Amino acid sequence: MNAILQTLVSTIVQGSILALISIGMTLVYGTLRVLNMAQGVMVMVGGFAAYTVVDRTGVSPWISIAVAAAVTFLLGVLTYYMAVKPLLGRPGVDFEMTAFITTFAVATIVQNIILMIYGPRQKPFDPLWPGGINITSEVSITYHSMIMAVLAVGALVALGLFLSRSRYGLAITAVAQNLDAARLMGIPARRVYVVTMGIAAALAGIAGVLLAPLYFVYPNAGDLPLLQALIVVIFAGLGSVKGTIYASYIIGFLSSAVAIFWSSAFALPVLYIVILVVLVVRPNGIAGKPQEARL
Amino acid sequence: MVQVSTTSTPLLRARGVVKRYGGLAAVDGVDFDVFEGETFGIAGPNGAGKTTLFDVVTGITSATDGVIEFAGEPIQDATVHDICHRGISRTFQLPSVFDSQTALANVLVGAQFGQPRSWFTAGRTDADMLDRAKRELIFVGLAKKASALGGPLPVYDKKRLMIASALATQPRMLFLDEPFGGLSPSEVDELMVLLSKVKERGITIVLIEHVMRALMALSDRVLIMNQGKTLFQGSPADVLRDEEVVRVYLGRRGDREEGAPDA
Repeated sequence: MNAILQTLVSTIVQGSILALISIGMTLVYGTLRVLNMAQGVMVMVGGFAAYTVVDRTGVSPWISIAVAAAVTFLLGVLTYYMAVKPLLGRPGVDFEMTAFITTFAVATIVQNIILMIYGPRQKPFDPLWPGGINITSEVSITYHSMIMAVLAVGALVALGLFLSRSRYGLAITAVAQNLDAARLMGIPARRVYVVTMGIAAALAGIAGVLLAPLYFVYPNAGDLPLLQALIVVIFAGLGSVKGTIYASYIIGFLSSAVAIFWSSAFALPVLYIVILVVLVVRPNGIAGKPQEARL
Repeated sequence: MVQVSTTSTPLLRARGVVKRYGGLAAVDGVDFDVFEGETFGIAGPNGAGKTTLFDVVTGITSATDGVIEFAGEPIQDATVHDICHRGISRTFQLPSVFDSQTALANVLVGAQFGQPRSWFTAGRTDADMLDRAKRELIFVGLAKKASALGGPLPVYDKKRLMIASALATQPRMLFLDEPFGGLSPSEVDELMVLLSKVKERGITIVLIEHVMRALMALSDRVLIMNQGKTLFQGSPADVLRDEEVVRVYLGRRGDREEGAPDA
């Protein structure tokens, strides 16, 4: 009973964070057809940005979330200008594949710059709210975990409202579903691309701050999130927002269950087996759609 | 109202437009003028370069060579959205809408983004934009389907939805790529009425069309293309008298008797 409860709590927390990281990859893939390999370092940079402002200025970690979001938004925009924009509309370039590699290059460069500045040591980051409560005598939940889930879900709801209610959101959806028609109706597609990459990075940056107290802040902190996000978006079917949310919680549940009932060492291998089976049965993922129905 | 004077400055002026894909010239040195308020028809066999010409004018693809002027200003190097903001709008040959959005939201995209406005103002439910979108939906006769999703709509509805979205951008000039293709005879009649109403609003229309009945009835002047070049340019009545057009495009006299234009 306790183990089941523990799994449930862990699923909600992990799934929400996974969704926050993966949804950015989905947005970028949906609008630009780029599998953004720089999404992982945005998680890591978010953690470092928060660590730095808290360490240097002593502000509340809550404020550092906003700083991390701003820093990673700018880094996302920079990634667009460095790795994506130069490739757009170039005849004879396999855009999807090339951008996959250039975003990976940006990720590696950023990671090494951070390593040069901060060194390889893990930096501690305090929970946003220390302490926790015991649900039963054996199952406890930290306040920080609760905050993680609440903030992640809050950010996703805000994103959903942004996409369905705002002018920018309408432009992003239009570009994702029908690029030519969207441009012909006066939407500057490249501006949509910049904003989308910025938002995607900022969401990962927020996730980075939330994860920092659990996994510390260090230059490789984005590796596992990237790997997990890749599994989620491929499992979901690239470019599907709803699919990404479902997939995040399914993957969150699987890795929690394997870790709790078996061993955390097997969580990732089991995920790979699951993704292999899913892709063999459904090559487009659980909610994969043809191009015209994306986002 | 649609009195066309060939001495006035054309709204759209194309000179020596060339679009080459490798060794193939899809459009090979086409010249034409379109005057404010007129309806200009383009026809020709498949592969004649009609849609490529549309793509070049609307900026979807860039011209290899030539000059295109809209309202006196060169637009051959302008971006797609800039061309839209200047007042050129278009529809596609294959129905092309935003599938997961409602009909109203589809038109709203045109209303919201069709004019150059500050990027930071107005939300999706801006009252003026919403009004304009609704007006255009009513104009094309889709008011009842405002909240239906774009994707599952039948072809005729999608075609009208594209026209409504294009009109919502408040264009001076509307390019229609085979608006009658795939429609039933009664739908063709309805759409012809709709397009004459567009014309009455003072919007200049350029249309590609294979349905000769519609093309002849709507067009003030006609351009017939073949293999990327101009085969004929003149009045609809003269088209049918031109030996070369009949030979290349319309087929032998007699084949088309029942499809003869009512113009």
